Amino acid sequence: MTWLIWRQHRTEVCVLGLLVGMFGIALLVLGTQAHDLFPGGPTRCAGEAGINEGCAASFRRLDEEYGYVENLLAAFYLVPVVIGAFLGAPLLARELEGGTWQLAWTQAVPRMRWLAAKLAALAGVTVTLTALFTAVLTWFRQPFDAWEGRFQYDAFDLEGLVPVAYALFAFGVATAAGAILRRSLPAFGVAFGAFLAARMSVALLARPAYATPLTAMEPVPVGGSKDQAGHRPVAGFADWTIEHGYADATGRRLSSTEYHELEGAANRAGTNLNQFLHARGIQQFGVYHPADRFWTFQLIEAALFVAVAAILIGVVVWRVRRRVI
Amino acid sequence: MTETEFALRTDGVGKRYRKGWALRDCTLALPAGGVIALVGPNGAGKTTLLRLVVGLLAPSTGTVEVLGHGVTVSTPHTLSRVGFLAQDHPLYKRFTVAEMLRFGRACNLRFDQGLAERRLAKLGIPLDRRTGTLSGGQQAQVALALALAKRPDLLVLDEPVASLDPLARHEFLQVLMGAVAEGGVTVLFSSHLVHELERVCDHLIVLNHGRVTLTGDIDTLLAEHRLLVGPRTATDLDRAGTVVEAVHSDRHTTLLVRDGGIPAAPGWQPQPVALEDLVLAYLRRPSEPSAAAPSAVAA
Repeated sequence: MTWLIWRQHRTEVCVLGLLVGMFGIALLVLGTQAHDLFPGGPTRCAGEAGINEGCAASFRRLDEEYGYVENLLAAFYLVPVVIGAFLGAPLLARELEGGTWQLAWTQAVPRMRWLAAKLAALAGVTVTLTALFTAVLTWFRQPFDAWEGRFQYDAFDLEGLVPVAYALFAFGVATAAGAILRRSLPAFGVAFGAFLAARMSVALLARPAYATPLTAMEPVPVGGSKDQAGHRPVAGFADWTIEHGYADATGRRLSSTEYHELEGAANRAGTNLNQFLHARGIQQFGVYHPADRFWTFQLIEAALFVAVAAILIGVVVWRVRRRVI
Repeated sequence: MTETEFALRTDGVGKRYRKGWALRDCTLALPAGGVIALVGPNGAGKTTLLRLVVGLLAPSTGTVEVLGHGVTVSTPHTLSRVGFLAQDHPLYKRFTVAEMLRFGRACNLRFDQGLAERRLAKLGIPLDRRTGTLSGGQQAQVALALALAKRPDLLVLDEPVASLDPLARHEFLQVLMGAVAEGGVTVLFSSHLVHELERVCDHLIVLNHGRVTLTGDIDTLLAEHRLLVGPRTATDLDRAGTVVEAVHSDRHTTLLVRDGGIPAAPGWQPQPVALEDLVLAYLRRPSEPSAAAPSAVAA
């Protein structure tokens, strides 16, 4: 079976290995240069950036010289779906469209053993390639994360455990779609669509609700420039702020119309907006998840996608076992 | 060759797809040894029946037993006793012929590599060619060599010659029958071609509209059936139960009867029936279960 699986899937494995290898080496090269900006390590430097001019300069250079790579990396959220769907889609669909399922399952290898070997091998390759890629990417992003936190979409979605879970999810969707549609290409398309839909809805709707967010509230400071009144976050830079705004002295949140009325009143009075708000006891608040929830959230989201993948693989196993294909 | 009496036994087998029943009430018992032909028009359920026999599909009703084992209990041992050549002889198109043989060796218990290589060498099929680049006839031969090298006790072939030109068809059947002669393997194959069956086959199954309309040993079937030619009559009350088909011309009526050769009534001329005419007569019969019931019982 080992030889057969390798012979049948070596093209996909080699192409994906090559892609991961190329991007990985590029990131290693660029990442080494970026890391060299921080002789004491980016995390320590981030802590000292307020007081250490050298560290502040390093982060400015990082942004200027490697900021474009960071922006490009955002597109790499597609890497797990490419790996998972590329390996999963042909697993059954190629046998079904070529008629060779009739050949494969009438040899002396029982179909469940055949399926188990294929699933284990290809899911294993999916996990290995995605984990390798994620490890390099996580390492590359260390300086950026030290500065920006790991809860933003371009960090959380590309690091830690979730990319592997996304890849397994794509693998499961592609395999199940291939078993039902009996065609590789449509199965790949279905996996792609399902991946985008699931990822987007989970990231936007489900993820903020993994835990009850904290709320911080403090009076509007008197100082600070007039324009930046609303932009200074209440939560820390690495926390994940999911909502922020203004509340009155009793803690009642202000609607945007109410805020704009206050703003207009401050302009008419010709006073500094911050002083104007401060004088009326207006507070600013932030609803956020603290940065130390990163791994909890990673675990929850990874478990969610792995569970769906397991259900889909279960459907495939059921179909093959019951001989409905 | 085998310790089991029957190569194939089915009991009340039916298979329903989403669009309806492809096969119903199929009860068969076929002895091991010899060649069994499964005949029927396109869409009669031949492929469904063969896939049930090799365990690719599970029946919706009834049981299928091959060489004494239920087919859905697939173990390496039971699987290795049945060879299957699917319609259009699928192969991994990007594999070379040698890699196809390696596939057979990797996935079977008693794969006879030498046998396959000798067969392919005799046919002049190079081992280093990708199977996708071979002609249809050569692909069929590779698939057959693969199935034979498995050394099965029952070899099942679905329309093995349908897509082949006459020359390749002849060559294929020659190789197949040679293998039967030397190996003692039971062969079950489907075909919608009726001629030449008599020369090649020992047993016959006629399938129409998802039902078995005739089954039995070919010599016995031919002895039981005959044509009676007599003056034109609208009905033949005496023989209503045994008349398979009545054909009326201007002056004569020809009856195909299954009466085991009892003396003909006065005025009727008995004649032997050719296998092809016998099969066609059964295929032309209406498909209600009541009409098929007497002959659907295993011979």
